[in-house]
Amino acid sequence: MKLQTAFTVNRVTDEIWEIPTSEKPGMLVPARIYATEPILNSMDSGVFEQVTNVACLPGIRRYALCMPDGHWGYGFPIGGVAAFDPQDGIISPGGVGYDINCGMRLIRTDLTLAEVQPRLEQLMTELFRKVPAGVGSRGFVKVTPQEFAEVMRKGARWCVERGYGWQEDLDRTEERGCIGEADPADVTDYAVQRGISQLGTLGSGNHYLEVQVASQDRLFDPQTAAAFGVTGHEQILVMVHCGSRGFGHQVASDFLKVFEKAMRRYDISVKDQQLACAPFCSPEGRQYFSAMNAAANTAFANRQVITHQIREAFQSVFGQSAESLGMHVIYDVAHNIAKVERYAEGDLVVHRKGSTRAFGPGRSEVPALYRHVGQPVICGGSMETGSYLLVGTADAMEHTFGSTMHGSGRTMSRAQAKRSVKGEQVQRDMKRRGIIVKAVSMSGLAEEAGLAYKNISEVVEAVDRAGITKKVAELRPIGNIKG
Amino acid sequence: MAYRYRVLEDMALADTAFEATGDSPSELFLAAGQAIIETLADPHRVQPGCTRFFEHRDRDLAALLFTWLSDIVYLKDAEGLVFRETQARVSRDHDDWLFQGSLSGEPIDPARHELRADIKAVTKHLYEVREEAGQWIARVVLDI
Repeated sequence: MKLQTAFTVNRVTDEIWEIPTSEKPGMLVPARIYATEPILNSMDSGVFEQVTNVACLPGIRRYALCMPDGHWGYGFPIGGVAAFDPQDGIISPGGVGYDINCGMRLIRTDLTLAEVQPRLEQLMTELFRKVPAGVGSRGFVKVTPQEFAEVMRKGARWCVERGYGWQEDLDRTEERGCIGEADPADVTDYAVQRGISQLGTLGSGNHYLEVQVASQDRLFDPQTAAAFGVTGHEQILVMVHCGSRGFGHQVASDFLKVFEKAMRRYDISVKDQQLACAPFCSPEGRQYFSAMNAAANTAFANRQVITHQIREAFQSVFGQSAESLGMHVIYDVAHNIAKVERYAEGDLVVHRKGSTRAFGPGRSEVPALYRHVGQPVICGGSMETGSYLLVGTADAMEHTFGSTMHGSGRTMSRAQAKRSVKGEQVQRDMKRRGIIVKAVSMSGLAEEAGLAYKNISEVVEAVDRAGITKKVAELRPIGNIKG
Repeated sequence: MAYRYRVLEDMALADTAFEATGDSPSELFLAAGQAIIETLADPHRVQPGCTRFFEHRDRDLAALLFTWLSDIVYLKDAEGLVFRETQARVSRDHDDWLFQGSLSGEPIDPARHELRADIKAVTKHLYEVREEAGQWIARVVLDI
């Protein structure tokens, strides 16, 4: 396959490719794409256009980056990473995405496949009942606007204080599930109304809850796996992929409008309307940062409430407490977010859109219990092919602002996937292969079929070889809940 | 009536896009609204149990359409509704365009409704409203 761009793309290493600043007027830094050659050649032209657009944004430092699961997005490509100087740089909702703090949570258990298999149908039915999914789904946690403001401030901590989780869950969540500088006064009532009923819901699209198995033969780093609580003895784990739901989507939409006007005031021009931005230190920039943090905290809370519901489902099916089933959170990490982080240059505003933080050993932000090995990185594949647990590295800190891939990335449009396969057929085929799928929408299920996605193992191989994360375990699905 | 819109398959790999057409701005707003409604759920399985009314004005017709389409996405989450049909009327009022419309639908019931895709946002990516040979055309990309 031929490279789908007219830009000059130079090989730096077998897994790093660079587009020099001479390739587009206005580029302030080179663009770098992390990919093997076959993955690079399969990337859509939007990736090259968008990553070079990002390289033109004011205050960008070092490189505009794209990970191997990269594909066309809004403004930034999905898989995009960019860091900006907080003094002369910008912040952009296009670098975060509409689903603020869309992220992954992985929960371990002491259960084995042999123990779960006989009750798998019952378990999936119970999980489907307890974790609402699909268009406009509403959660069981009813909150007043005042309580929702507390959720914005406290994130997952609010949930634990109300009994929806364990204290230790917070230790195993990025930012302990509560990012500071989140002021509810910076979000609109419109956004609050849109999201106030959705705490503890999955949503739809590519969001899911998956019951998975870790086997010895798919452990790549048993020592690190053990540090994360993964034994690999046909061990059952549960993975959750979702974000801030309607609230976060509305915060992003609201601030795109604010920033369109702000750009005129600050005389900023961008190559794409979806790259609307404002100086990070401007009132508009600080207000978005605060509102985005509020949405990020609700996403941590959302995954925390879902964790509570998952534990309840397991308790009811297996007749044992979640504690005795060893249902500890391994980690919860965002892949759509902007954060202020310290690097060699000093503080930088790092945007990750469809990219996961992957801090290496020793960083103070990594939970104390993992600090000797590095931060867990959770990457979801398609519901048919499985997912990966990886670990952050020192190389990521040095080369990619502590960032790596987030998933497998689509290769087929939703319409094409629906033409290729019916949801009912996907469900039947997966059942034949031992995977029970519960879905609210059969057309949505067809859109998310494995054939619509890249092979995640190839994507993971690229980041592993590049050294920006290392493989720990491959997790294979046995049950999936889709919206 | 037949709403004139078509899905643009290659425009948004991970999401969905459509092009709506009308003989007038009113028809365009009706068709684009219907495209959103049908992206969320099959309208034939939804009863018109409740109706919500909208009125907006803007000098820019594209901005006005964007607001209307965003209203539908908002209401889906804020009130947990799916929809059967829309009404839309767009007229001139001095320098402004005036939109008056309504949405009829009912609370989401997964057991009864054929739910499809949850729209996160109407985006400005390649967003366009134009008049061409007496036809009003809009291109819209939705984040799913």
